[in-house]
Amino acid sequence: MDSLVSQYSRPVHSAEGPSQDEHQELSQTTPPLSLQFSLPPVAQSSAWLRAMTDDYSNPNCPIKIAHGTTTLAFRFKGGIIVATDSRATAGNWIASQTVKKVIEINNCLLGTMAGGAADCQYWLAYLGMQCRLHELRHKRRISVAAASKILANLVYSYKGMGLSMGTMCAGVTPQEGPALYYIDSDGTRLAGNLFCVGSGQTFAYGVLDAEYSYDLDDEAALELGRRSILAATHRDAYSGGFINLYHVKEDGWVKHGFNDTNPIFWKTKLEKGEFSNVTADLE
Amino acid sequence: MEVLLGITGKDFTIVAASKAAMRGATILKASDDKTRALNSTSLMAFSGEAGDTVQFAEYIQANIQLYSMRNSMELSPTATANFVRGELARALRSRRPYTVNLILGGYDKIADKPTLYWIDYLASLAPVPYAAHGYAQYYCLSILDKHHHPDIDFEQGMKLLRMCTQELKRRLPIDFKGVVVKVITKDGIREQEYEDDVKVAIP
Amino acid sequence: MSRRYDSRTTIFSPEGRLYQVEYALEAISHAGTALGILAQDGIVLAAERKVTSKLLEQDTSAEKLYILNDNMICAVAGMTADANILINFARQAAQRYLLIYNEDIPCEQLVRRLSDLKQGYTQRGGLRPFGVSFIYAGWDPQLNFQLYQSNPSGNYGGWKATSVGANNASAQSLLKQDYKEDCNLKEACGLAVKVLSKTMDSTKLSSEKIEFATIGRNKNGKIYHHLWGADEIDALLKEHGLAKPEDTEMTE
Repeated sequence: MDSLVSQYSRPVHSAEGPSQDEHQELSQTTPPLSLQFSLPPVAQSSAWLRAMTDDYSNPNCPIKIAHGTTTLAFRFKGGIIVATDSRATAGNWIASQTVKKVIEINNCLLGTMAGGAADCQYWLAYLGMQCRLHELRHKRRISVAAASKILANLVYSYKGMGLSMGTMCAGVTPQEGPALYYIDSDGTRLAGNLFCVGSGQTFAYGVLDAEYSYDLDDEAALELGRRSILAATHRDAYSGGFINLYHVKEDGWVKHGFNDTNPIFWKTKLEKGEFSNVTADLE
Repeated sequence: MEVLLGITGKDFTIVAASKAAMRGATILKASDDKTRALNSTSLMAFSGEAGDTVQFAEYIQANIQLYSMRNSMELSPTATANFVRGELARALRSRRPYTVNLILGGYDKIADKPTLYWIDYLASLAPVPYAAHGYAQYYCLSILDKHHHPDIDFEQGMKLLRMCTQELKRRLPIDFKGVVVKVITKDGIREQEYEDDVKVAIP
Repeated sequence: MSRRYDSRTTIFSPEGRLYQVEYALEAISHAGTALGILAQDGIVLAAERKVTSKLLEQDTSAEKLYILNDNMICAVAGMTADANILINFARQAAQRYLLIYNEDIPCEQLVRRLSDLKQGYTQRGGLRPFGVSFIYAGWDPQLNFQLYQSNPSGNYGGWKATSVGANNASAQSLLKQDYKEDCNLKEACGLAVKVLSKTMDSTKLSSEKIEFATIGRNKNGKIYHHLWGADEIDALLKEHGLAKPEDTEMTE
């Protein structure tokens, strides 16, 4: 009887629009873009995160996040070159020299990693899942523009909560051709020909900007990518380890090695006479 | 150091926005377009917090386009400006406000007049004959105060814009990489070619 | 168990009809006539007020014509109580639009907001459709003067002249016969009383039995709407020779 009464006694205007149940049904036909995480019970999550993780202001902070990177990607007539170093640092400590900072989203799409290693790994894996779901739902591969926007909207929804990412999405699709996007945890998303991201970005820009041209051939482009990362690993203390090189082409990406910087550095110095500030003589 | 400018004349509104996208000490892009067309007679130029700008602009753009579809008529520039202000004011009192400054250029087809609105991140709205945001205000408003008249034609409007961008090039300490120029008239919105490499001399 | 049936009053019959909606339309066809005529320089709305008893206090205010906002008025045919809900909703919707856009709501949008609400009540279980038809008269800068009509099903349309309520078929055909596209507001008012005098049961009209409202443009170009007073209505009736003679009223 109560339910009967309540049925008729509800205010007139509540009958407008879909009911709560209907609304839920509508919104759940597609999974939500943003995952539901439980957040720490603090007023300012970013301030709390900083207190826990910022080893610059507090060397005894309980969590040390892996940071420090040089990554680059550029578009040219033969596709896109993606190159990164492989060092992860936590404060002054080199946490790893063999990090894979290029994330293979699918066989045509690559993502790069700068900033919080965990944030990048987690969300780029999530992006990979969304891209595959898009493929299954729409029976064609997702465009780079759409994939990058999924990531940008996602990180934007967590803005101010302490995410730290600077990433690039590179891919070739039939409708767009080679496409390159820069996305960071501020929510910025930019299309462009050339980006360098990370603590060593300025060093990489220096070398890359000077010799970049859209009409580079494949060999020269790969060499320029490699040399730019080398420059950054040489000058930026937080970059180093191995050079990870990829070439994205129309029919998917090709990996061009994961090579130790050390021999490359000495080869460059001794064969080309560069890095003349470094003395090779032992006496 | 983002630059936003707006100038109205007798039958047009010019909106200009700097092309540099800066993050820290790096210019990530030198051909960024900080404008969004809302419908055939309204254009929004934006600057401010990274991420917020584009998100807010595209949110407004989607809503204005939804209005056009639902009502098979376009929202007037004046109504658009008030809607934008309302959305910004609503967000201002929310958990996470949009930190965005806007210039809204338009052409009112019914009154047959160009319109220009200045909106800041605190959701102040002002109809103005010419407008600027950021450091551009300090240099350009005095120029516009002196040289602007409501009945100028398009060539005079472009000359005024040139005076403004030249002064900014001359005195702003950071290169803003020139401007994207959009013109709104009764025929709609178009991009105007604009020479950015004109040399300036510092006296 | 009975709930299963009476909470779903608005379902299709096996012949594919919505009886509740048809009943609502039927209810309106017994209500006092209301009509609207679009002229070049304005719109006139007129309605028949049914005097049920001489003992009933004659309210001086209008009961069939309402102001929705600064540029729109409407005439009601049907259940006044239902109409009050809808008019209240319309006024709120108009003010909400004004608050958001700082501009008056375009006429068709307000008509549609109301019609959407009415439609909802033909579909949702447990609710009775609104037993009201409206005639709306309004002005907006995009389309200037406009006349609309809506009914309980949620259908609406724009008209040059239209009527609802009792005898609306004969009123409609009279309007069709005598309507002129280029008429002015004064001529439209004349046509309105003429049609009403023929469709109403009583032969002679008086300001007690009809209501009048106009929307137009005043000398300085501003839009006005005006619900007529008794003296204005009587003057109009006299002008067209339709007024009840003074002495008969005395002897009645």
